[in-house]
Amino acid sequence: MKAILFVFPFVLAVAYFPISQCQNLPLIEQTCKQTPYYGLCVTLLKSDPRSKTAGDVQAIALIMVDIIKAKAGGALQHIEKLKQKYPALRVPLSACKDRFNAIIIGDVPQAVEALTKGDPKFAVDAANDAALEADSCERGFSGKSPITQMNKLNHDISIITASIVKTML
Amino acid sequence: MADSNVSYNPLPDGERPRPTRRRSIVLVLSGLLVVGFLVALLSDNGSIAPTNVIDNDNNNVNDNAQNGLNDVSSSSKDPERLRPFTSASSAGVSEKSNRRFGARTASYPWTNNMLSWQRTAFHFQPQKNWMNDPNGPVFYKGWYHLFYQYNPNGAIWGDIVWGHAVSKDLIHWYHLPLAMVADQWYDIMGVWTGSATILPDGKLMMLYTGSTNESVQVQNLAYPADPSDPLLIKWVKYPGNPVLVPPPGIGAKDFRDPTTAWLTSEGKWRIAIGSRINRTGITFVYDTKDFINYELLRGVLHGVPNTGMWECVDFYPVSTTGEHGLDTSHNGPGVKHVVKASMDDDRHDYYAIGTYHEKNVTWVPDNPEIDVGIGIRYDYGLFYASKTFYDQNKKRRVLWGWIGESDSEIADVKKGWASLQGIPRTVALDTKTGSNLLQWPVEEVDSLRLTSKEFKKIELKPGSVMPLDVGSATQLDIVAEFELDKAALEKTAESNVEFSCSSSEGSAERGALGPFGLLVLADDSLSEQTPVYFYIAKGKDGSLKTYFCTDQSRSSEANDVNKSKYGSFVPVLEGEKFSMRVLVDHSIVEGFAQGGRTTITSRVYPTKAIYGAARVFLFNNATGASVTSSLKAWQMNSAFIRPYPDDDDERHSGTEPTYEVRGSKTKYLGNLLTSSLLFLNARNNFL
Repeated sequence: MKAILFVFPFVLAVAYFPISQCQNLPLIEQTCKQTPYYGLCVTLLKSDPRSKTAGDVQAIALIMVDIIKAKAGGALQHIEKLKQKYPALRVPLSACKDRFNAIIIGDVPQAVEALTKGDPKFAVDAANDAALEADSCERGFSGKSPITQMNKLNHDISIITASIVKTML
Repeated sequence: MADSNVSYNPLPDGERPRPTRRRSIVLVLSGLLVVGFLVALLSDNGSIAPTNVIDNDNNNVNDNAQNGLNDVSSSSKDPERLRPFTSASSAGVSEKSNRRFGARTASYPWTNNMLSWQRTAFHFQPQKNWMNDPNGPVFYKGWYHLFYQYNPNGAIWGDIVWGHAVSKDLIHWYHLPLAMVADQWYDIMGVWTGSATILPDGKLMMLYTGSTNESVQVQNLAYPADPSDPLLIKWVKYPGNPVLVPPPGIGAKDFRDPTTAWLTSEGKWRIAIGSRINRTGITFVYDTKDFINYELLRGVLHGVPNTGMWECVDFYPVSTTGEHGLDTSHNGPGVKHVVKASMDDDRHDYYAIGTYHEKNVTWVPDNPEIDVGIGIRYDYGLFYASKTFYDQNKKRRVLWGWIGESDSEIADVKKGWASLQGIPRTVALDTKTGSNLLQWPVEEVDSLRLTSKEFKKIELKPGSVMPLDVGSATQLDIVAEFELDKAALEKTAESNVEFSCSSSEGSAERGALGPFGLLVLADDSLSEQTPVYFYIAKGKDGSLKTYFCTDQSRSSEANDVNKSKYGSFVPVLEGEKFSMRVLVDHSIVEGFAQGGRTTITSRVYPTKAIYGAARVFLFNNATGASVTSSLKAWQMNSAFIRPYPDDDDERHSGTEPTYEVRGSKTKYLGNLLTSSLLFLNARNNFL
């Protein structure tokens, strides 16, 4: 009996506290609806623990910028491996390395600055540019790219980010 | 496209200079010029060919004309670039990516050669790093001052502080130390945009936006530490800052860019600050007696629904009777007021002309259909965060605008800099139309003109391209006039399709009466070209409507640069010829149509049409009309923008520094080159 009394408040709490709020879904869903890649947007944010405590669109945007950074970093590592594997693609792979490097040292810092210091339009520019860099990397292979999926992912993540920040303007 | 079969004077040095060999090339060129100089001096007629070429021979010209532009398929249907400046769609981003593959590896062409060519010769830019908004422009104690948003740490936006430069003539600038840095809690996140006010007693007040340690936008007061220093090197921030914080109900990040103050008839100072309420862009007005205590006036000066946040608001009087500028405080009969704002949403600067009612603190547009944010733009290309100031020295109003990059970040990182200021322009009411402003490069730009070539009444048949022998083609000032025969204008069928530069196929879209104009930064084979042109459309009622456009779709073979077409309608009045002025300065092209009724600024990044390989052409791609053109093209000198000399004496005297011969041979020879060119020009004019 005592056990039930003890447990009861918790059961009540769980019953009255919708699970969706635990995961911050309304904010994520609402934000992602404003982007052209809703599914990808939701997946990315849901799998990032920081999104659970994100209080506003700015916080969500910063998480996305961090995802851009992480994916670009991963791209760089992958490109290094591919250079060994496909020596014939050395030239376009080197170009891609420079492009992803530009994302990491240029676009990402600018986006973070813009969002944290309060002039988000520069974050839209940076995110748009990140998409462009991924695009340009892909073009360099003239159809024989070994990283098409990776480039598309980076492109799409950047577009999602740009769309999200655009809603803040 | 047909091969060029024209002859023209080959340049003395056809090869592209390489960075490591640049100095030796300059040495060689200077040497040649010195030799030429001496020969010219010593000979009777001058062994150098006269540089003023009057071309009256139509036959000759037509032989050289060629069909180059009637191939629609060659126009590139490039993907909508993911650029904030071009897209008018609500999301502003494109998920489409049109992947074109070609033999040319145009996706990564950037060599140091190409990138270093992009730096301009006579437009203001710091020696490196990022710049954006012009700040606090003012004429003070004999010097023009320009401050600007600057990142001392990189070629991206961030760590923003105030850069500073001075000039005697708005053209030759000297870099000075940073005027203000982010060292107070109220501007630690950014020393942002602001404006200068000169009081009747000569005092200078600077109001600017600071982003606080909590990223709240507040307004701060600063003033010169030493008002007797004409260079205004050191600045003091008012200890009681901030003087203004966001009003109740206004977002902490929706309150910025205070204007120059203007006097009211009660003797108070009045300023405007842009903001927004939901999607309505607005501007607040405050009154102050001391620039420290402010009274927020009821309501707003003006607001327009669905325009979003208004940045960099500007408010100033224009004379309805004369071309001269008016002091910001001027009011009375014969005056209209301009409200201008930069739209955060679509990155364009809009203005509207209307009437200011001082007593009830409102401003009413003459034509609400072309109100702020939905009507006329200062410039139909890249031009943002602009700001005017009243130049009491020459009694004119001068406009500065931030010209960003439209290339990709990788190039900016590589070249180590980003952004320019546009060429400063005078701005005044167009008294002929009464409904728009006129903008024109300040007259001091003319002082950069060196040798010129003139061409008179060149007839361009439909579908023709004509190379212009102007010599070097990367620093040019071109003034051109065009006429179409009346018969062609009259017989052309009407169209009910509304034309738009940006949604057209650019210069490759052939209409009966256009396009026609200039191809700048083009190479011989026209694989790269930047058309600046007119397109005349005939509306349903038979009226002619003229458009002025710049087409970037083929400006560069690189495909990570902006390829959109810019432009807009331009009023052409009865009896007027079609006229344009085009300034070419490496990676910036500025076009002014009909005396400045419509202007377009573009950034272009050719990979081939650079250095000695750049050319200029006239073209007429219309199907139904011949075009007759007369034009004059000047070589433009460099403005030699450089740091103010460190010498203490010179700095204190505030006089213009003498041109020192520094350790660097390159600079010395650059000077020699210029003097030689100037002398030769003078001598040839004398001949």
